[in-house]
Amino acid sequence: MESIFSFCFAILITPLLPAVIKKVKACFAGQQGPPLLINYYTMAKLFKKGSVYSTSTTFVFRMGPVVGCATSLMMLLFFPMAGVAPLFSFHGDVLLLFYLMGLGRFFTILAALDTASPFEGMGAAREAFFSILAEATIFCILVLFFRLTGSLSFADFFSSSHPIGLAGEHGALLILVIVALYMIMLTENARVPVDDPATHLELTMIHEVMILDHSGPDLALIELGAWFKLLFYSAFLAMLLNPFQLQNTWLSGLLFYAVVTFIYITIGTVESITARYKMNLVPKFILTPFVLVFFAAILTMELN
Amino acid sequence: MDTMFVSLAVILAGGVAALFLSRHFTLMKVVTIATTTAGCGVGLIYSLSHLLSYAATMEKSWSWLHIFTLAFKVDSISLFFLVVIFAIPPLALLYSFQYMGDKTKATRTAVNYFFFAVLVASMALVVTAANIVTFALAWEIMSLSSFFLVIFDYQVKANRQAGYIYFIFAQGGAMFLFAAFALLYQHTGSLDFSTFSTIPENVKLLVFILAFLCFGSKAGVFPLHLAKIQSGPAAPSHIAAIMSAVMSKMGIYAIFRMYLLLDAATPLIGQLVLVAGIATGVLGVVYALANQELKKLLAYSSVENIGIILIGLGIGMVGISEHSPTMAFFGLAGAFLHVFNHSIFKSLLFMGAGAVSRQAKTTNIDQLGGLMKRMPTTGRTFLAGSVAISGLPPFSGFIGEFLIYYGAFHGISNQRIPFILAILAIISLAVIGGLAGACFTKVVGLAFLGEPRTDNAAQATEAGSSMTKVMIVLAIASLVIGIVPEPFIRLAFAGLHDVPYTAGYDTRAFMEIVRQVSQTIGIFIGLLLLLTLFRKLLYRKKEIGSGPTWGCGFTQPTVRMQYTGTSYAAEMIDFYRPFVPTKKTYTGISRIFPGKTTWQTEVEDVAEIRYQLHMIQPLLKFLHKLRWIQHGRIQLYIAYIVLAIIVLLLFL
Repeated sequence: MESIFSFCFAILITPLLPAVIKKVKACFAGQQGPPLLINYYTMAKLFKKGSVYSTSTTFVFRMGPVVGCATSLMMLLFFPMAGVAPLFSFHGDVLLLFYLMGLGRFFTILAALDTASPFEGMGAAREAFFSILAEATIFCILVLFFRLTGSLSFADFFSSSHPIGLAGEHGALLILVIVALYMIMLTENARVPVDDPATHLELTMIHEVMILDHSGPDLALIELGAWFKLLFYSAFLAMLLNPFQLQNTWLSGLLFYAVVTFIYITIGTVESITARYKMNLVPKFILTPFVLVFFAAILTMELN
Repeated sequence: MDTMFVSLAVILAGGVAALFLSRHFTLMKVVTIATTTAGCGVGLIYSLSHLLSYAATMEKSWSWLHIFTLAFKVDSISLFFLVVIFAIPPLALLYSFQYMGDKTKATRTAVNYFFFAVLVASMALVVTAANIVTFALAWEIMSLSSFFLVIFDYQVKANRQAGYIYFIFAQGGAMFLFAAFALLYQHTGSLDFSTFSTIPENVKLLVFILAFLCFGSKAGVFPLHLAKIQSGPAAPSHIAAIMSAVMSKMGIYAIFRMYLLLDAATPLIGQLVLVAGIATGVLGVVYALANQELKKLLAYSSVENIGIILIGLGIGMVGISEHSPTMAFFGLAGAFLHVFNHSIFKSLLFMGAGAVSRQAKTTNIDQLGGLMKRMPTTGRTFLAGSVAISGLPPFSGFIGEFLIYYGAFHGISNQRIPFILAILAIISLAVIGGLAGACFTKVVGLAFLGEPRTDNAAQATEAGSSMTKVMIVLAIASLVIGIVPEPFIRLAFAGLHDVPYTAGYDTRAFMEIVRQVSQTIGIFIGLLLLLTLFRKLLYRKKEIGSGPTWGCGFTQPTVRMQYTGTSYAAEMIDFYRPFVPTKKTYTGISRIFPGKTTWQTEVEDVAEIRYQLHMIQPLLKFLHKLRWIQHGRIQLYIAYIVLAIIVLLLFL
């Protein structure tokens, strides 16, 4: 019951959080910014619209948003939000889930290439390249967590006899992981300094340029998928950061979402004070977390 | 076991029938395909039933030429590979019914069918051979028959060249095999396989490395993969499918069999196989990404998959030497399952490539595009195969990799070397998966989606029904294995039944996980359907327009402006630059009013360059000095032979 409630709450709150980023960025720019509920209005508007499809496209173009959204949603089904047991979980689920994310990416890229647009092709090529680099880091994190907990599922990472957490047994190692995961989050969710979601020139885009031809409900599904994904990554980070193990579910839930909101605020801050990297610097940026996590993983070699 | 020989006889009879019926083209094809398929069917039923009932090992031997015995032995490992050997060829044959449609090449087609049958039979003999003579004989028949299959289109110079390179690699590899067997015979004095484990420990490693060079070149281990790369594009597609999907697995079988027979205590063998697997996997997929020729790309992708299989085997072998049963069992089981899965989706992809080359007259991705609309069935099945080969759920490729991951993760222990190796295996599997995804989004996205880049591609139509039906069967098989993996995982486990180190491993806990995986994939598909329904509802009674792709304000787009395979892969290839040299030729602009200028890039295989530089050129220089021996006078040639015989008689 708790799990279902937690899942539904996460789904409902998803559109709210990215608005926090917008608000923070507006604050930095000395503006008032859009209302916090802006994304709900956008959703409602997009759901009402129809679509125009390019004559170049096939069924793959229409499948892309659905697959992308479904794979992101799967992550939330298996992730223990606020430490509440997820709806599903088994030993090995992380492998399946990250591969499902790969499937989502596969179809997003195909949908972009389906339009025959040179801009979307360029975005697709960059997305493919950067996500491969990020994948190595993610699996390295899994190796490290397996070493620490002997488990391969999100639920067990945080609820086994040695739960992972900054205040836990090997908290020092986690500092490296948190920094790395934060950088991976920025990469995978197309945020500054890897990609700029607010840019206006197609040539400088990655994620945004891939969805140029989508409109109406299709675009809404893509946006939802992207928000679910961002929520998953920041929830992952929040679970690592959260130092308290509270008995009261409500209180720990509140604390958890406070940490999540804090992460969104930091994303907004990063976007306000840094510029997007030049494309040739991006691979270096993405490989940095790999080095950090690999080092952390090597350090666990002598652990018993 | 007699059943198996009967099935081989039927298969061969089908091949011989082709030779006699070559004047009646269609009849010949019907008779050959029916007979060979029947033979394979019998063999398949035999091997499946014995495999799943955990039948005891069977042996059989005949004396041959009075001095040799031909000995055969069937255990669970042989049976598992026999399943693959008998399951795929019938589908390739059905596909060939329309693919080999050129009546003017009737004789050649008949010969092709004959060698096809010989190849299938010889592969079955390879996995059942139980002594040196039998194995070498079967291995050579397999190499030679596949050589004749490769040079089907011998009038094309490139194909002849590919055939020669294939031949050289096959025979060069066999040389190492004979060296390994000679070493073994020297120490045991027996031809029988079962005596291998008695030789001294230090010789075992040498024997394994020699044999690995031979088997590795057949499987396609980097840098011994060149024969495979050359033969893939040269051979007809159904032959390429069989060679890539089934024959290269004979190399895997032989490596594993040699490992088991030697029973060496040194952990080096497992580590060697694992490292070879990592290098092969990563470089194979990078080259696949760099190449725009569809069949060549698929050949490189086979190299990559051989890498994945070797990573599995390596994890298993390291697990055995580290006494970690979980690591050993799942590494080997993952490798076995991937052998099975790869044989299905790689056949599918090669057949798809064959259909494309037939209908669109080219297989260069940079000249294709928009085929999904023109060849809907080929496109959809190719998409299924691409998802499967990228190791993504809900298709079959994921399941094999999941087992290997499971083994590798459980191999992370306190021991230094296994720890590092397990981490490297996991990371490289992840990287290979990502790169394979990039590679196959390139193929599907640029060759099948978008707009056609040439007239040939624009005029392509769907391939014949015998070809598309086979592809549909293979695509469904890939999907079913992905969604309901349990019986197929059991099949792989059954294949490990006779491996001494992993016998009796309790798989019940893991089967629970498999059920969960299957359930999760079910949830995912349910979610997908739910969202599709939701999307349908949202679009109900709405205005759906259609128009050209938005050109970001540019109003005169042409199909030439689309991203190409080269440009799609450029950044990723650049990242791996030291391993993937790119040759750029640019004629340049010289005058104020520049004339026509050209720019060409070509990805070169680093192994090929090295061979050329360090082996072939010195060898040619040396051989040039011996040219005087070959003068063309026949009487002196006979004298050479007489001399050789005398020397042999006197000194041996």
